[in-house]
Amino acid sequence: MRTSLVRLVTGLAVVAIALVAALSLTGGVAAAQPAERAPGAAPAPTAQPGTAPRGTAPRIQIVDGAAKPAAAPAAGTPAPRIEDPRARDVINSNGPAMAVLFWIFALGMIGGAIFVITRRNMIAAVMGMVGTFFAVAGLYMMLYASFLAVIQMLVYAGAIMVLFVFVIMILNRPEDEPWGLVGLPGKILAGIALAYLTFRLGSLLASVKAPADALLAPPPVVVPPGAPTDAPTLYDWGSTAGVGWNLFNEYLFPFEAVSILLLVAVVGAIAIARPLKADDDDAAEGDAAAGEAS
Amino acid sequence: MNSVVTHIGYGHFLVLSAILFAIGVVGVLIRRNALIVMMSIELMLNAANIAIITFARMHGDVGGHSFALVVIAVAAAEVAVGLAILVAVFRGRRHIDVDRMTTLKY
Repeated sequence: MRTSLVRLVTGLAVVAIALVAALSLTGGVAAAQPAERAPGAAPAPTAQPGTAPRGTAPRIQIVDGAAKPAAAPAAGTPAPRIEDPRARDVINSNGPAMAVLFWIFALGMIGGAIFVITRRNMIAAVMGMVGTFFAVAGLYMMLYASFLAVIQMLVYAGAIMVLFVFVIMILNRPEDEPWGLVGLPGKILAGIALAYLTFRLGSLLASVKAPADALLAPPPVVVPPGAPTDAPTLYDWGSTAGVGWNLFNEYLFPFEAVSILLLVAVVGAIAIARPLKADDDDAAEGDAAAGEAS
Repeated sequence: MNSVVTHIGYGHFLVLSAILFAIGVVGVLIRRNALIVMMSIELMLNAANIAIITFARMHGDVGGHSFALVVIAVAAAEVAVGLAILVAVFRGRRHIDVDRMTTLKY
């Protein structure tokens, strides 16, 4: 038990260190970008509908009437601008450092997931789940989904796992028999299926031919006119502003539907978990549970 | 070295999501504790999210991120309702063994 705990803590530390490394690498891209782009003449982005050519202006500036009165003829009604952050790939996104990060995250994720489904101790399973979620957040970071990586850590590793820990503490039952009872044919069948699945996945992975620009900096994102430009990477692909622009323009109705869904889920959870006061033989226990809850 | 190892592409992420989904399926199938079953369902939702974000990155569409956000919200709602159901089930039966949950009303 103690050795497994030590292994778990070591694994979590490795995942955390790798996550910090990924974050610092991504931050390094953002920090190194203006210093490198400023002296050279920036090539004009390929797609810029509705805006005037900006010549050698730094690519980060938002085009609006106040900032560039001469270059923008339609100063009164500035159109959405399209950035091209493809040139921001200062670090080599296809290089061996990224490969090392990917394999660390992959091992942390799969190891944590196997940890979850093999532990008898449920708190240990939750800890493996947290490690899995952090590794998944690191993978989101590698896919330039920085906003979703943070949301993954906040919602999954934070809220949902705390909910699981609370319910484990409430139930407080040692698990008697973790595995389902299967006979020898079932085990043979499961072994064959697992071997087949592993073979298929391995052959698929071996046949992967990654394109040369597979994980370079992502395509442009639409920047709303008149938006603040405090941070140079504010409108990066997958940033909070980029996802929010997409979410509130194209997917506003699903967003509102999700809010209704969450409301229904909260009300339903309260209605289901409430002790049944009307039940006669369950009344004392329900009152006890209510006393515990309050 | 082999370029599959050093050259990371979209296929790696998709295979990783498939492996995570398979681990989740195995967890749902072999475990009897309902809490572990719910955690395995969370693993499968995460695998789906990785695939969604990989495809969004592949096609350069931020809409995939919005969809993944919706998936996370649905997962949170599912966990809230599912854990409430588990607490209600445990209150009556004193166990959460899915092999022994054979009746809806106890």
